[in-house]
This record gives sequence, C-alpha cells and structure tokens, in this order.
Amino acid sequence: MIGKLFLTLATLALLHAAYSTYEHLSLLKALGKPEGSLPLDIVYESILALILGLLGASLNAPPLKDITWASEMKKRTIDGMDSRLGFAHYRSRGKFLFASPHDGKI
Amino acid sequence: MSLQSTLERLATYRANNMRASQDIFRNGLLVLQKSSFKQLGDDGNHCGVPAGWTSLEQFALASIDVGRLDIADQCLQLIADKFPNSPRVDCLIGIRMEATEPPETALKYYADILEADSANVAIWKRRISVLRRTGKIEKAVNELVQLLDTFYTDVEGWLELADIYALCNQYDHSFQALSHVLLLMPQNPFYVLQAAETAYTSEDFSLAIKMFLTVVDMTDADDSEQLLQDSTPLGITVRAWFGVKLCTRRIAQNVNLRSLSNTSAPKNSELLDELATERLRVAYSSLGQKGEIAKGRQEVFAWVATPLA
Repeated sequence: MIGKLFLTLATLALLHAAYSTYEHLSLLKALGKPEGSLPLDIVYESILALILGLLGASLNAPPLKDITWASEMKKRTIDGMDSRLGFAHYRSRGKFLFASPHDGKI
Repeated sequence: MSLQSTLERLATYRANNMRASQDIFRNGLLVLQKSSFKQLGDDGNHCGVPAGWTSLEQFALASIDVGRLDIADQCLQLIADKFPNSPRVDCLIGIRMEATEPPETALKYYADILEADSANVAIWKRRISVLRRTGKIEKAVNELVQLLDTFYTDVEGWLELADIYALCNQYDHSFQALSHVLLLMPQNPFYVLQAAETAYTSEDFSLAIKMFLTVVDMTDADDSEQLLQDSTPLGITVRAWFGVKLCTRRIAQNVNLRSLSNTSAPKNSELLDELATERLRVAYSSLGQKGEIAKGRQEVFAWVATPLA
C-alpha cells in the first residue's frame, strides 16, 4: 500500500515538474530569452519524484519466489509426482461418489 | 471467482500433474457456463496449443472422472469440431469410450489406431491401461516393457511398471524399474523415496537406509543459514526420517543382514537411530508451523521412545 502511495506521488510530482517546465519555457519564450536556465526547485522536484518512484516500485513488487529446486519440491505432493496421467483409469468410483442427487444422470 | 484466477488454478493443476477432478470440474463448470472456453481459445498461447483448449481438455477429462458424461460430451464435441484429425482428439474419444463401453470395444478402437500408426504413444498407454484395469496383468506388462524398450525416457511408463510389479509383490523388479526412473530423473526426491520404500519392503535394509538418508539430504540440507538443530523437518523429509527409524530397528534385530544389492550395513546405526528419533520429535513438536503435523504427536513420541531390538 505504501508502495502504491509512493508511486502515485512520484507520478504526480513528475507530471507537475514537467508542466512547470513547460510553463517556465513558455514564459521565457514570451520574455524573449529562450536560453534561460531551469529554476532549481523544478530540478529538485523531479529528483524527488525519481527517488519516490524507485522506493514505490521496489515496495510495490510482488513477493519474492524461491529459486532453489528443493523449495520447488517442497510445494509438490506425492499424488502429483505419482499420478501417471497417461495410464489413468477413467472407470472409477467417481461417478457414484460425485453424481449429484438432483441430476438423476450417471 | 474471476475467470483469470480459475484458469490459473487449472494451469497449476496441469503443471503439477494433479488429478483433482472434483475441484477442476467445479471450477471449469463456471467457465463453461459463461462459454468462455471458446472465447479465450485463441489467446493465452502456451507451448503452441492455446491455453483455453488445454483447459477444456482437462475439464472434459475431469467431468468423465466425476461422472458427468453429458458435459464431457459437450466439451469433446467442441474440441473435435475445432481439431478434426488430431491424434490427441482420438485419445480423448477413446477415453470417453472406455468410460461407458465394454473394454473390448475400447481395445478394438485402440488396435485399429495402432495398426495405422504403431508409434502412437498416447494410444498405446491407453491400451496398456485398459489391459491392466481388466486384469490382464501379464499382457499389460509385456506391452509396457515393449513400450519402454522403444521409448526409454518415458518416466511415466517406468513408474507404471514399478507400480504393477509392486501390485504383484515382486518388489525387486519394482525396484529395478524405479532405478531406471532414478537414472532419468535423478534430482527428484519423491522417486528416491519411492525406491527407498520399495527397497525396505524387499527387506534390503542397508540400501533402504542409504536412500532414505539421500532423501533427507535432497530435501532438507538446503538451509545453510539455519543450524540443523533449529530447522524442522516438513513434508516428505518426515516420511524419510520414519523410514530411517524403521530401518535402524530392523538392522538392530537381524545380526546377519543379507542385502540383495550387496550394500554394506551402516556403521553407526545406533547413532542414526538417535538422530532419527530426535528429528521426528522436533517434527512433531512444532505447533507453530503447519499445525497439522502436530497431530498424532503422542503416538509418535511413544513409538520413537521404544528401545532398539
């Protein structure tokens, strides 16, 4: 949640800095000296947006997954490893156990 | 439940080869009722076949398993319309036939297909499955051995052979089949566990104890930050420690041990026994993690405390 908050703030700050730059450049153009430098607070705002964005993206990342083979094996079961689906029998007690009483179909 | 999460659930079942037919049926039924299988049939590409169609196939098989053949017929019709001359569809039709028709009909259907193309592995496997189910075990084993001679790397086939031999109490043949599985998939602790238990059943305790300890090594020796004293055995590690305990007990009982595989007996079997006892106590004492392991705690504590021999 904090990650998303930071990311939103960073996006807004960046957009605000971009708009301020545009306004400042049009002001300079109107005043007739198009080569003026950018005011420092816009620069600080964009750097702040960068830092906040980095923090937000890192905190917003999905939980880390294990990469070792042993950890993958911990998630598996014997039923999955020994299922031999190519040889599975499809004539089982399933149709008697799971047929719902409402259908009347077997 | 959203469509995306349902499909992810079905995909997880496929990836783990689970045969959870009731759950798949329940989830897939919702998707089918929204007729979304057809919609996303063409997106979500996965290894060439769009994920929607593999999910539909999985759902069709689950409905055959659960007994809802009407829904299975609907799905099979959809699949057959989309992929007219596919061998995979032939296999599905065969399975549907197996569910209601007498086995001779299904066997004849498979024989026809195998005549046309004798290397159709899926159909051959179905044939072997029908032979096994109807009790023609010898024929099933012969065909299976032929299949494995042709396709050596078929792990499923070797596992099935091991299972059939174990069913007939021929545990050393079962172990030989499992040794091929271990050659093909050496990094899988589940197959090592199965081999260890088969070795135990064929009374080869020295080999069994070695393999049980290999399972422990594979599944538990990973936590390098934690000392062994602090880590709790979970999952099949507990089963392996039970195996070690059983083996040490039997080794202590027979002084002259005959090992079919000429494995030497372990030198410190009393120490191994103590270690196994301690590990089992730890496994059954941890109430915090995975609380269900703590069930049966008293029985386990009583059993591990009985002295050797």
